[in-house]
Amino acid sequence: MEHSERLERLAEAVLGMDLEGVGPLVEDCLAAGLSPMEILSAGLSAGMRRVGEKFKQGEIFMPEVLVCCDVYYRGLEILRPLIRHSGGGGARGKIILGTIHGDIHTVGKDVAAPVFQAAGYEVIDLGVDVPDARFVEAIREHAPDIVGLGTYMTSTFMHTGETVRVIREAGLRDRVKIICGGPAVDPGAARRMGADDASDDAWEAVEKLDRLVEELRAGRRPA
Amino acid sequence: MSEVVDRWVQRLKGKLAPVGEMTHWERMAAAFDLKPTDLIPVAPELDYWQITYAGYSHQEIYNDPDKTTDACLRTWADLRTDAIWMYVDISHQIENFIPPEKRREHFLHRGEKDYLLFKPLVKTLDEAIELYESRAYERYLEGSRAVTHYTPHMLQLLEFQEKMDRIVPVIVGVATPSNYAETIVEVQQFVRWTITEPKKVKRYLDLALEERLAALDFYAEFAGQRGCRFLCLFGGARTWGPRQLEQFGYADRIFVQKAVKLFPYVFWHICGHNLPEAMRLLVEWEGIKAVQYDMPYYSQKLSWPEWCESVARLFAGKRCAMNSPTTQTACHGTPEQVRRMVREFLDATTPHTTAVVMPGCEVDSYSPVENVRAMIEEARRKPAS
Repeated sequence: MEHSERLERLAEAVLGMDLEGVGPLVEDCLAAGLSPMEILSAGLSAGMRRVGEKFKQGEIFMPEVLVCCDVYYRGLEILRPLIRHSGGGGARGKIILGTIHGDIHTVGKDVAAPVFQAAGYEVIDLGVDVPDARFVEAIREHAPDIVGLGTYMTSTFMHTGETVRVIREAGLRDRVKIICGGPAVDPGAARRMGADDASDDAWEAVEKLDRLVEELRAGRRPA
Repeated sequence: MSEVVDRWVQRLKGKLAPVGEMTHWERMAAAFDLKPTDLIPVAPELDYWQITYAGYSHQEIYNDPDKTTDACLRTWADLRTDAIWMYVDISHQIENFIPPEKRREHFLHRGEKDYLLFKPLVKTLDEAIELYESRAYERYLEGSRAVTHYTPHMLQLLEFQEKMDRIVPVIVGVATPSNYAETIVEVQQFVRWTITEPKKVKRYLDLALEERLAALDFYAEFAGQRGCRFLCLFGGARTWGPRQLEQFGYADRIFVQKAVKLFPYVFWHICGHNLPEAMRLLVEWEGIKAVQYDMPYYSQKLSWPEWCESVARLFAGKRCAMNSPTTQTACHGTPEQVRRMVREFLDATTPHTTAVVMPGCEVDSYSPVENVRAMIEEARRKPAS
């Protein structure tokens, strides 16, 4: 079997929600000599991109997307130690993600994290109900390009300003870009609260992440 | 007899300036019956918002039905919307599933304007099934907020409705089987399981349905017999796709069939991802008079007016449309943006069916008063057809 065929099967396994099949397919790719990065980008991540396209077209829905994410992670778990060993991954930038204090929903973050990883970002997931101080600690520890603040509800989104203030008071605001994510976010309101942007769509957010990382690296700082 | 209710009745009865030619009740009922109204009804879901509007914090009213009722009546007296929404929070729904000593650890309340959030009661589908099979919800009912807060508050508002001679209806909110099933385990887990463990999900949903059908008997006895006519069924299933609606939509459908036999003005509250599909389903379910809907979160190719018009055409001769502005615009927009969105909704809707102005979900506590007033004023400006 050709390498391209193996990778195609893997991408289809992600889209087809094949939780049982993904592991053997990844192992098969590795046994055939494909590099972990190739398997990740042209197999698992290609599958996640297809998931995004189908989702945007209204051909699949949130339940399917969540299971596709689970399939992606199951494959990634096999590759992760190999990628780490080879020093690859996270080429586009580094993100810390967390649902802000007072919000315990994971649905948006559970989709965003694999989509960002599939797009080439290194993602550090801080979990849910994350205190502001934990974001500060994580910025110091991981030196990310982006901080992703997950909020599922309007009322918790309205606390974005407090988290931004704590990051600013810690002297770290200029080192990171801050983006809000979740179904109730609003880009204008996010900027008014001191963040840099917001998105309610993980795939659309990747484009925003690219722009924010570019701005950060070009030395443009938030006001 | 309730002191807080009598105080407000004494203050308001016979002293209120009329709003239009119909009473608020008549206006809402006519819109639900797809009949002409003197003005466009406006009935924003203010259940959380009105607490802080009236000067209370959520912590302050948490254990005090009198203050909760006072907040609702104070807000209505000021704004004169066409319905009074009772306050409902998640603790009313799930506290009776948990032993008293465990309740505190399941709830999260960040600040005085914030929603009460909950942590999932169980982690697996087996545990969720066990929770229902053991009938935990009956065992822990006594002393739960369903009994100590929700019910007294509901009865007080209905007492006000009746003592005011039904000039304004009270909207009582009831969660559907899908809402319960998702809430208890967290929505993201539930929807995953619809794909990975469909047989167990069906068993779980059947148990949730059984409990909800029994709950409707409670509502018939305690709310219906005390004058409740307008019932809001707040659904889960907001992220479901066609596959889930086809496989598991039956539970909500059976629930609706019973609700509409008990109450004359039943409407469905839905916001979320897959609204176009859900709208089609809600038109098929007999007996629902109106649908409170929102803008789909994703995959929306239509503009706001186009979306409103597509729903109105679907609802023509069948359902009253309840919407506008979006909850996000109500919170983050300007009064002018709110007004424009209300106008666009009405322009797109009223040629096809009746309309009630109200966001598709509850008005967030952080929404500015000016935006809520703009919504009401704009609805009142539009002549009803």
